[in-house]
Amino acid sequence: MAFASLQFVIFLLAVCAVYFITPIKARWAVLLVASYAFYLLSSPNTLIFMVVTTVATFLAGRAMGKIQDRYQKRIDEAKEKKDRETQKKLKSESKAATKRIVVGILLLNFGILATLKYFWYYLETILTNAGIEVPFDAGILIPLGISFYTFQSAAYILDIYRNKIRPDKNLAKLALFFSFFPIIIQGPISRYDQLAHQLYEGHTFDYQRIAFGAQLMIWGMFKKLVVADRIGALVDTVFDNPGQYEGFTVIIAVICYTIQIYADFSGGIDIARGAAQTLGITLEDNFKRPYFSDSVSEFWRRWHITLGNWCKDYIFFTVSLSPTFGKLGKKSRKYLGDRVGKLMPVIIAQILVFTTIGVWHGAELKYIAYGWYQAVIIISGMLLEPYLKKLAELLRINTKSFGWKVFAIIRTFIIIVIGRFFSRALSFNAAIGMFISSFTWNPEVITSGAIFELGISRWDALILAVSLVIWFIISVFQERGVEIREAMAEKNVVVRWAFYLLAIAAVVIFGAYGSGYDGAEFIYREF
Amino acid sequence: MREEILEILRDVRSDIDYENEKAMIDDGLLESLDIVAIVGEFNDAFDVNISVDDLLPENFNSVDAMAELITKLQEG
Repeated sequence: MAFASLQFVIFLLAVCAVYFITPIKARWAVLLVASYAFYLLSSPNTLIFMVVTTVATFLAGRAMGKIQDRYQKRIDEAKEKKDRETQKKLKSESKAATKRIVVGILLLNFGILATLKYFWYYLETILTNAGIEVPFDAGILIPLGISFYTFQSAAYILDIYRNKIRPDKNLAKLALFFSFFPIIIQGPISRYDQLAHQLYEGHTFDYQRIAFGAQLMIWGMFKKLVVADRIGALVDTVFDNPGQYEGFTVIIAVICYTIQIYADFSGGIDIARGAAQTLGITLEDNFKRPYFSDSVSEFWRRWHITLGNWCKDYIFFTVSLSPTFGKLGKKSRKYLGDRVGKLMPVIIAQILVFTTIGVWHGAELKYIAYGWYQAVIIISGMLLEPYLKKLAELLRINTKSFGWKVFAIIRTFIIIVIGRFFSRALSFNAAIGMFISSFTWNPEVITSGAIFELGISRWDALILAVSLVIWFIISVFQERGVEIREAMAEKNVVVRWAFYLLAIAAVVIFGAYGSGYDGAEFIYREF
Repeated sequence: MREEILEILRDVRSDIDYENEKAMIDDGLLESLDIVAIVGEFNDAFDVNISVDDLLPENFNSVDAMAELITKLQEG
């Protein structure tokens, strides 16, 4: 089902109506039925894969819980006897026993993900390259939201292993946590301890909350339909015909793509968060005005936050604090010096994190290059930090000044824009070719108006410019801590409703609904 | 131990008011790189093994919480 569409709004209204008339205790069941219905309406052939992951993860969690309980009893007995040695031994035995289950279930779930998302893709590519006609479309086999629910299930299992949460005793409730319809298309990747209890407890009807949720959805649709889908036309023209364009055309296209992906993805997240909010459920935010970041590492703390946090908790810390890499760091201090040696485990962890982020987007070389490009910049920043500090002192640059901050934001934005060549171009080679061709000096494409013949007319450009200025102003307010919706709620009823109606009208009138338009086609749905 | 912890923390990041700060993780003052550096220093200085399982916000939100974690680990 299309997410940014009237059907979805009607679906959500129906779910809300049933939800709020059902007895509080049974309200979670309404969400489960709605989520499975949404899945069946969107991706009916692949439901089985989500069911397998859900049931297997549930059983693994329960088995781990039983082992932990059994050992805990014996640990408590040893504690009473003040027998520290036995306590320690039992703790490590319990860890070892649960670890086997963790490895098994992660292999199964990530194995399904790898097979469906990557293996078929490779097979299809190899067969096509060998000149063999492929009788199937590998894309059809990729279940809706597989990356999202697989990452959520891994976090669930690892949190049980780390004693952060207790395993769920109710299969149907856990099935809801993995399938909750607002998050299945493109996240946010939610954690069990943050989301599950909100889904299970019934929420009462609250007009203000529903109004806030609806406003967030309208804002998301504005980003998606007015900005992303309009600007995407030029991006597609230029990127789908590599080698045909150069200079300013390519530069404008890659900047447009940088805006498009943010509008598309954050718009989708706003719709998801808004939809959940109408039901009384608060989802984590996935974006915090990432293009205001003054360094690449800050960008990754503000962009796709829930994926970044997932990587931080389950890859970065696991690797950088593991005894094996700790030892490696100590050994490498001998050869690389104290500072670099100490950074070694962190550097390895960063490489793994950004490889994961690259592969998350797809199995192709261009995505891995996209991840590594970010890693190289962040690691270079870490290694060069003391030298850059000295250089700034030497040149008497005040790195706390407003001017420097603006410079750092623009510098970071340019770095991010260059990275976008890899994530959008048709292939790694096309990305490199387009990047090189962007250095051609051809300002006449702008002065002659040729740029307006690539999918964005002058009229479109005007709508985009106004939309982006509005978005920018709102972002500056948010950056200063202003809660826009709360501030609006304090205005009188006429101003408020005039504003809401204008916003809805803007989405309906200025949304880019070309022929063959499909509101479900979020870029991140593919990941 | 408190003083030693403070010294290590100030070495890693000098711009945080460690004495009064009670939500260093929850408020996002300490970044992941700082945490790795701090854990490495704690492990060496206090002869403990802080593992990834101990990386809960409540163990690192304040100096007292860190001292408590280290004491707990030293006692086994």
